[in-house]
Amino acid sequence: MTSSTFRRRPLLRALAGSAGLLALDLGTSNRASAQTPKRGGTAVVGVSVAGATLNTQLTSNPTPLIIADIWASGLFKYDKTGAKKPQIASSWDISADGKTYTFHLRPNLKWSDGQPFSSADVAFTLEAFAKYNTYLVKVVPNIDKTETPDANTFVVHLKEPQSSALEGFDKEVFPLMPKHVFDGTDIPTNAANRAPVGLGPFKFVKWEEGRGITFERNPYFWDQPKPYLDSVVCVFIPNVQQQQNALYRGEIDVLRPALPQISRSIEQANAKKMFEVREVKVNAAERLSLDVNLTRDIFNKPLVRQALLVAIDRERISKDVYQGLAFPAMNAIPEQFTQLTDTSVDYNKQFAYDPAKAGKMLDEAGYPLKDGKRFTIDFTSATNADAFYAEPAAQIISANWRALGIDVKLSLLEGQLWTDKVYKQHNYDVSMSSLTARTDPVFGVDRSFLCNASSVPYVNPTGYCNKELDDIAAKAGAVPTAERKALYKQYEEIVARDMPHLTLTNAKKFFAISSRFGGIDEEMDLAFNGNPDMAQVWVK
Amino acid sequence: MLRHIAGQLAQAVLLLLAVIVLIYCLLQLIPGDPIQAMVGDMPVPPALRAALEERFGLNLPFGHRLLAYLGHILQGDLGYSMNYRRPVFDILAERFPRTLLLAGIGYAFGITLGIAIGIHSAVAKHRGVDQAWSSLVLVGYAMPTFWVGQLLVMAFSIQLGWLPTQGMGPMISRATGIDWVLERALYLVLPVATYTILETTRVARFMRASVAETLEQGYIVTARQKGLSRHEIIMGHVVRNSILPVITVMGYSFGTAMGGAVLLETVFSYPGIGSLMVEAVRARDTQVIVGVVILVACSVVVMNIVVDLLYAWLDPRIRLSSQRR
Repeated sequence: MTSSTFRRRPLLRALAGSAGLLALDLGTSNRASAQTPKRGGTAVVGVSVAGATLNTQLTSNPTPLIIADIWASGLFKYDKTGAKKPQIASSWDISADGKTYTFHLRPNLKWSDGQPFSSADVAFTLEAFAKYNTYLVKVVPNIDKTETPDANTFVVHLKEPQSSALEGFDKEVFPLMPKHVFDGTDIPTNAANRAPVGLGPFKFVKWEEGRGITFERNPYFWDQPKPYLDSVVCVFIPNVQQQQNALYRGEIDVLRPALPQISRSIEQANAKKMFEVREVKVNAAERLSLDVNLTRDIFNKPLVRQALLVAIDRERISKDVYQGLAFPAMNAIPEQFTQLTDTSVDYNKQFAYDPAKAGKMLDEAGYPLKDGKRFTIDFTSATNADAFYAEPAAQIISANWRALGIDVKLSLLEGQLWTDKVYKQHNYDVSMSSLTARTDPVFGVDRSFLCNASSVPYVNPTGYCNKELDDIAAKAGAVPTAERKALYKQYEEIVARDMPHLTLTNAKKFFAISSRFGGIDEEMDLAFNGNPDMAQVWVK
Repeated sequence: MLRHIAGQLAQAVLLLLAVIVLIYCLLQLIPGDPIQAMVGDMPVPPALRAALEERFGLNLPFGHRLLAYLGHILQGDLGYSMNYRRPVFDILAERFPRTLLLAGIGYAFGITLGIAIGIHSAVAKHRGVDQAWSSLVLVGYAMPTFWVGQLLVMAFSIQLGWLPTQGMGPMISRATGIDWVLERALYLVLPVATYTILETTRVARFMRASVAETLEQGYIVTARQKGLSRHEIIMGHVVRNSILPVITVMGYSFGTAMGGAVLLETVFSYPGIGSLMVEAVRARDTQVIVGVVILVACSVVVMNIVVDLLYAWLDPRIRLSSQRR
């Protein structure tokens, strides 16, 4: 908690005064110089629980990802338009044959522990973490070799051109790790995964379990004189309602609110002028989707799968479940990939909500109504604490299908039980999940469609395997960006035809940030899976 | 009495071992993967899985892991947390006092208020006061803990702005001494109040029934006929004789109360063993889950011994019968 908690509450102010906190309050009371950055103050970021590791080379859990922006840095990240923004790499070149990437690193940088940084650290990060990193394993098989011709240059040679490879080196997928800390150690259990050393604006100070993590200004940060704040505290608030309460009370300054809370947040923000709610326009699409188990006889025909989509009122899900902050998805490739998606494949036209049409499609597929019933579906989803969408969306979909005479047996399960049922036992008919598309279809979309014989969670559990699609996906990930769109159009068409995985809605992403900070525009200049790093803001 | 307690302790140790084996087996049967929980909603790279399984012994046969764990338990070692990367004992030592503080204060307030309300209600049986208390207690008893907690937060934090919404204290503070205590006390008010409401309603119902029954006894009629004042009768005869059933309730409700802490700590983001348990189940952190179960089981055993001692102190018949044995 910072002084912000106490700035408008008489009783607390009185008590805090006795507690010696008034000094903190007075320290931030002068808000006149709103435009000039100045040093000092603390920001409190509200997050859920952090889990086992803060190292996002080893986890893709949301809380470590939010926290990583505060302590870690990468070669580049994305601005609000989705364009790449230099970070540790001041620039990069791609050879004409698309096989060599040369990153020019900023000179004379230091890690947060004061040790010097060089290209050897970048090479080490790739070499040591690739096999443990869930995204890098997609790129690494295509890496021929890496070179560090000097301390400020890092070169990657690919075996074959792969345009999506560059996305594998962004801050989220490839946060840089210090060689002097990890070299020669057991990386997955190294203590630095919970007490990290990084190149980000703040350095790790302490982790109070169950309470929060404290960071203080990194004196060696590459982008001086930033950061302006003295410290950042990430407090653990597992309950989304309590997160909202804490935001409203000014106990926290930054929050990525759950979507059902956004409308309330915006209302409160407008009424109290205490914080602003900003949308991240080009985000890593979070898409509500259905996996259909193709090994079940009833789902043999694509017409049945298409009918299931036509029967779902996706507008209602967007409006009621996501409070209007999601929109019906157009096709397999998220709209956020503006350079890659082809909008000529549009589910909203091809498979618009039409119960009568869906009924006819099922009749045609050989499933007419018999005694008011067509067939039974074992429909399942996970109900984790943050899966606010699960129950209401599942209820809407079940009601839509029941109206067609489909007998829906709905089971909403704890996350791990659901994972076991769907991905390991394959004992389901239709499974609902919300999956993130990451920064490129190669990292977050392909996993739902490409052939997969394993029982790996969150990877195509449907049994769908189409070599034609696999080949197109491989090619689309490799060719230059300008040529990718045409391939992804074919990708979208095949998915629309075969429909093994029904993409329903595409959710928006927001952050709430306290109005007591200056520099919010710069701070919120982010895209895809970017999070505020708190380096741009200062206390007004 | 001592022999009785020693016997109870021996039984408790055996029971505890059985509980540990049972919980460990149940956790093995429940689907779940601690490594997947760590990685999140993306596939776990095989090398990462292999490294962590090796480090935490997850690749060993179940029987081997269970025996090794029991061996450690017998040596007083509660194991190692995969999720926190620390010995389980250290985590419990940090978290349990916080829960004990919350539950202890709530329990003390709840019992005191519950006893007072129970007596007040019973001595005015079937009159307006009794009906008012009974209705209030029933409403309080019927409300779910998390809902009461949310209501209090909305009233005292959101609307009035008097108290913090969650947590156990400020993350950054310059306070020392009494200021430090005061600062943290503010954070305890709402969770303790919620806990107190829960406990008060539970105790008040039993106390009212017990006092009402005592008031019907012949010795109370005699006391009245002897000319003792109302105060002397209630304090001297009624309370002491009515409190035994309530103490029984206190004993067994302690376990329930610890269960209540799980919900309460989740609502208030209070970092005690309740929220630890929730995190551990989510992360399938087996040794922490078993550690918490052991701790709660031990607390219940200790509480039952305290109840036995209180019985003996309050009721001479129990004391004498145990001496005769």
